[in-house]
Amino acid sequence: MSATTPVGPAANTPPPAALVRPGRRSARASAGARTSGASRPPGRGRLTRPERIWGRIFIAPPVLGFALFALAPLLFSCYAAFTHWNGLSSPVFSGLTNFRTMAGDPQFWQSLWNTLFLMIGIPIGLAISLALAIALNRRMPGRAAFRVIYYLPGVSSVAAISILWQWALNGDFGLVNELLRMLGIDGPNWLAEKTWVKPALILMGVWKGLGFSTLLYLAALQSVPRNLLEAAMLDGAGAWRRFRHVTLPMLSPVTFFLVVTGIIGGAQMFAEINIMTPTGGPEFGSATIVWYIWQQGFQNLKLGYATAMSLVLGALIFLVTAFQFYLNSRNVFTVE
Amino acid sequence: MRRRRFLTGALGAAAAATTASAASGCGNLHSSDPDVLTFMFRGSTEERDVFARAVDVFIRRTGIQVNLISTSVDQYATKLQTAILGNSTPDLFYLEPTRTMAYVTNGVLADLSQYVDATDLPVDDIWQAGLDLYRFDGESIGKGPLYAMPKDVGPFSFGYNKTLFEEMGVEPPDPDEPLSWDEFLDRCKALTGDRDGDGKTDSWGNSVNITAELHSYVWSNGADWVDEDARTVTVDTPEFAEALQYVVDLREKHKVTPSINESEGLDGYQRWLRGQIGFFPVAPWDLTLYRTLDFDFDLCPYPTGRSGVSATNVGSLGIGVSANSRRPDRAAELAMFLSCDPEAQEIIVGQGQTIPNTRTRAKEWVKDTSIEPQNKQEYIDIVEDYGHFVPNTRTYTPEWLDTFFTNIQPVLEGRQDVGEYLKATQPVMQGFLDQGYDQLRIDQEANS
Repeated sequence: MSATTPVGPAANTPPPAALVRPGRRSARASAGARTSGASRPPGRGRLTRPERIWGRIFIAPPVLGFALFALAPLLFSCYAAFTHWNGLSSPVFSGLTNFRTMAGDPQFWQSLWNTLFLMIGIPIGLAISLALAIALNRRMPGRAAFRVIYYLPGVSSVAAISILWQWALNGDFGLVNELLRMLGIDGPNWLAEKTWVKPALILMGVWKGLGFSTLLYLAALQSVPRNLLEAAMLDGAGAWRRFRHVTLPMLSPVTFFLVVTGIIGGAQMFAEINIMTPTGGPEFGSATIVWYIWQQGFQNLKLGYATAMSLVLGALIFLVTAFQFYLNSRNVFTVE
Repeated sequence: MRRRRFLTGALGAAAAATTASAASGCGNLHSSDPDVLTFMFRGSTEERDVFARAVDVFIRRTGIQVNLISTSVDQYATKLQTAILGNSTPDLFYLEPTRTMAYVTNGVLADLSQYVDATDLPVDDIWQAGLDLYRFDGESIGKGPLYAMPKDVGPFSFGYNKTLFEEMGVEPPDPDEPLSWDEFLDRCKALTGDRDGDGKTDSWGNSVNITAELHSYVWSNGADWVDEDARTVTVDTPEFAEALQYVVDLREKHKVTPSINESEGLDGYQRWLRGQIGFFPVAPWDLTLYRTLDFDFDLCPYPTGRSGVSATNVGSLGIGVSANSRRPDRAAELAMFLSCDPEAQEIIVGQGQTIPNTRTRAKEWVKDTSIEPQNKQEYIDIVEDYGHFVPNTRTYTPEWLDTFFTNIQPVLEGRQDVGEYLKATQPVMQGFLDQGYDQLRIDQEANS
């Protein structure tokens, strides 16, 4: 049985629920849409004039809020990226200068590389949180306490977590090196060595994000239809094959969500870097792209250049996310 | 009707909430009431309390209302920049001297010269060096109109732990005659050792904070970061290399400062507070804390390299007045009051936050030997005689100097040759310095 094969009790009997890819579902969905006309929500014509007015008034604040606080700044930043702007006086149009500077700026590329490198933590975190979710999904004493403990970092402030890890990663007295010492390993000076600063930040990032992804995986695990698992069991599938061919595909929407939000969040990592390595780390080893944007914009009065970098970062995030959605449309399973 | 009333009420509440949040988001950084001044400043809790007390005196004396906006040190620069960007610059604000050129060029700061000329306050008594930091004629710092009053001048003096010197049997340094580098190294070696006999070093001669202290070694060896016009980066000279090598060797070769790992556990500052370091900088803003320590300390000049002349840096923070202030005269009055009024100085200096800003008050202060340090004259000597301002106060952006420290870690760990590093770094620093001047020209044209 391959991962793409729908699982059901018999080939010619439609299962009560089946795993399908979105592409395959579309035909059924459109067929369903043709027959569900009667239950469609009332259209515009059904609303009275005052209702329409009130409806518009009620949707106006968020729309205006978006226009004022998101769309307008976005449009302005599109313009500002093509200007020489120091943040103290008006921008002066400078064409593609900022983009040319960016192309030849080694620190821009270094910070982009650092940001990408730190995303290694995403698959590591997903694997660990899935294992944890499976463990926490079993009946065992203290299960609720463990769930709370793992989620605690999720509700703690980034600043507090960063300071805590700054101590834990201290080369001399830090907890991490103390633990390594017990194993006979002489730990590195994590935050002061270029080689180790990124792994140290990945370690912290994985720990920090574990609670959130474990919680989502736990919810997803509990929503795997039992009849699918029972059907697979009747077909003779053992525990591993049930997990591999039923549970894991059923978790793919959550995995997709976590990967997308993880990449977007990872691309915007700032506070941890600014607190733990305020100068961008040893030899610029931990400077993320957002940290570099902040440094250029606010420290070096190059807000136009910083905006241009933000625009490029925004475009990169958009492209990566779009690509993920494309992959998702081919691979993620849903139940009908 | 009832439903309509509910909807109207809900909409009104939503609108009120939006307005309230928008208003609070502005933080009232820029008062629309011409009779109320807003003053944005930063510092430790103690420092903020002291300045708030001094402002209270001003309010009592003049009847002018002042709204204080205080932030932590970390947040200050970003918050001020955002306020300027949002056209809500406070009437008065602390000004980093490294920002003087940029803020003047872009019309953020009001020219205070006319108010200084007209005041009865003893502005002429303020340290000349402190005032010069905030003068800018469009080309060079130190010349032209005055754009801020010095809130303080911070001579970064060298100090020593008298108790540790006595315990280790080491001769204390002369308060007037600086040690040569060789003599300094000998003292450091004598101060480094195992005091409790557990086989581990627990006292060191020195601990160098490279970004704050390298300047002293560079200048006293006859080297500098830039040439006289601040146009050419000069870190690739033999004198500069020798100074950097000397600092690296203190730890890597002579082991008279805590190792990198030992510094990670407890940095030099923490070890000084615990009485483990012989020589350490004693800046005025730390005096309140240092006086509570269980060892005696005093001041001495930094050791000297080839030039034979001691050198160190003088920091400062200014109080600038917004060019958009509705009452620049009143704002300037408050800036001058905090900078030199005798009663305000009494409060600020009395709490051990700064050295006196005026010469007259400083003379009295130096004579007071009832509190540490005994040799307060050293602070005055630095301001009047041998102190230098950090070179990025003379340039448009600080990026060129930051670059020097970004990649210095391998050098400090002895993994990279000092000469090679300086040779490779000079052109990069020069590039950023040139970019800064290009930026200045563009901004001058845009604002002309």
